[in-house]
Amino acid sequence: MTSLNPFKNPRIWLWVAAGIVVVNGFFPAVWILLTSFKTEGELNRIPITWWPAAPTVQNYVQAFTNAPIGRYFFNSVVVAVGATLLCVFVSALAAYALARLRLPNKTLIFSLLVGVSMFPTVTLIVPLFETVLALGLRNTYIALILPHAALSIPVATLVLVSFFQGIPKDLESAAMVDGCSRLGALWRIVVPLAAPGVFTASILAFVNSWDEFLLALTLMPSQAMRTLPVGINFLQGEYSFPWPLISAALIIALVPVALVIAIFQERVVGGLTSGGVKG
Amino acid sequence: MAIKTPPTPYRRSFGDLSERALAFWLLVPAALLLGAVALYPVARLIYTSLFQRRLTDQTGVEPVFIGFDNFVQAFSDDRFWTSLWNTLLIVAVTVPGALLVGLGLALLANLPFRVRWPVRLGLLLPWALPLVFAGLIFRWFFDSQYGVVNDVIMRLGGERLLWITTPDLLFWAVCFSIIWKSSSFVALILLAGLQVIPKELYESAAVDGATGWQSFWRITLPLLMPAILVAAIFRTITAFQTFDIPFAMQNGGNAFETLAMYVRTMSIENLNFGYGSALAVLMFLISFVVTLVYLRYVRGADD
Repeated sequence: MTSLNPFKNPRIWLWVAAGIVVVNGFFPAVWILLTSFKTEGELNRIPITWWPAAPTVQNYVQAFTNAPIGRYFFNSVVVAVGATLLCVFVSALAAYALARLRLPNKTLIFSLLVGVSMFPTVTLIVPLFETVLALGLRNTYIALILPHAALSIPVATLVLVSFFQGIPKDLESAAMVDGCSRLGALWRIVVPLAAPGVFTASILAFVNSWDEFLLALTLMPSQAMRTLPVGINFLQGEYSFPWPLISAALIIALVPVALVIAIFQERVVGGLTSGGVKG
Repeated sequence: MAIKTPPTPYRRSFGDLSERALAFWLLVPAALLLGAVALYPVARLIYTSLFQRRLTDQTGVEPVFIGFDNFVQAFSDDRFWTSLWNTLLIVAVTVPGALLVGLGLALLANLPFRVRWPVRLGLLLPWALPLVFAGLIFRWFFDSQYGVVNDVIMRLGGERLLWITTPDLLFWAVCFSIIWKSSSFVALILLAGLQVIPKELYESAAVDGATGWQSFWRITLPLLMPAILVAAIFRTITAFQTFDIPFAMQNGGNAFETLAMYVRTMSIENLNFGYGSALAVLMFLISFVVTLVYLRYVRGADD
């Protein structure tokens, strides 16, 4: 029989615990969502309002008409998709070698991978900036795609290695005995079986690129080439903060990533912990 | 382990490529990309740090070799020491902060919920939010006029605080934002660690009459220690690179400047590549030492 005192009931505490984690994680995003439906006038009211008094979608319209959010969004998609494809392809090759083939100095290679992933990005921007200037690539997509792809190679490779190791070697050997080449076996047996791993690595690489700020700010600074993080940061004026507009822009920028992690949360969590690289 | 490749029956198919040669070629693309974007820049950085090179004058075209003069200059540069000190303060506050909050979140998230997704999403959302967006959002939360933080303080009967324009308060606002943003990643790492602790340990402890508090100190914490250490080192390395959040919270200003912000201002804004590179080399060296400690720890744990 359950006690009449609600605080003696363990289910109440489960709800409290879940509530703390959920509110902590969702509060800023929910606050931004509410603000994105407020008018500028309502925002300047004191005391501030929590719930929009007269909800409007005007800020979303403004984001696309008065600010080039559409353009920023396009830039972010081009860079993130390009970087993800390149990164995962290159990492899959490396991960296969590391997981499956006899190779001297494997430990050293893993150490190098982890070591490189810890390089401070800001120490890379000076030489990358110089190189990009010298090659005349400033404000081109390729100038950002290559570094973004490279920066996710360590995490993508580590995730893929752990997936490749989970595929029984016998399957591959059987295919090779049946006349498949090693690359043929890789393509026909290992890649389909490792698809979840490839997918996880892709999500991590995509989110890394979508979120990256410092390189984007340095290598693609012109108004037309800004990615969402850079573009939205510069919606802050010198003295004015158009928060309803910024909020709408933030929601637009967050929707793709939020959808991806909501749908594939178990993969993402698994990838983050098995990849074990900084986030 | 000595490696002697025995003849394999399937070597024929892919030309005459031996296993080791195939492995080599598979690693080449990743190595090239990392070499071009990470290793070459570091070498180039060290080289440039030995020159006087400003894009704003003649040295932009003809760099002048000055040996270690840039480093000598850095050691007597107050702005370098201030930004280094600020960065170390950020590390000292936000690493323990994120570990404590992260541990709390992980313990809560590890409870036996019937529906897990809202809690998991609550941990993933802050992780997936770009740092610069977290900075923007908290810039506004801490706004003295329209911010929700002051709104709550005043509803509770407190005074309006000028978070962004008072240097000390700005520091704490920055730390708060960093802890919020990074604690969920810590929680995800620790949650994975919690989930592999065998349930039987708690059951037998309970049979022996241990309280929940004792189980936490005697079972959970010791067994979680490896995960806590990994999270602590990741956090230290990323906290040392803090840039986005203070940059966004100050709208590009530098009243509160971290080392990463100073490096960027000196090299990209002032176009002083030589001196900026020297600052970056110093930052790289400090970060490198922490990474070596980490790699040694990880390898030690493997043995």
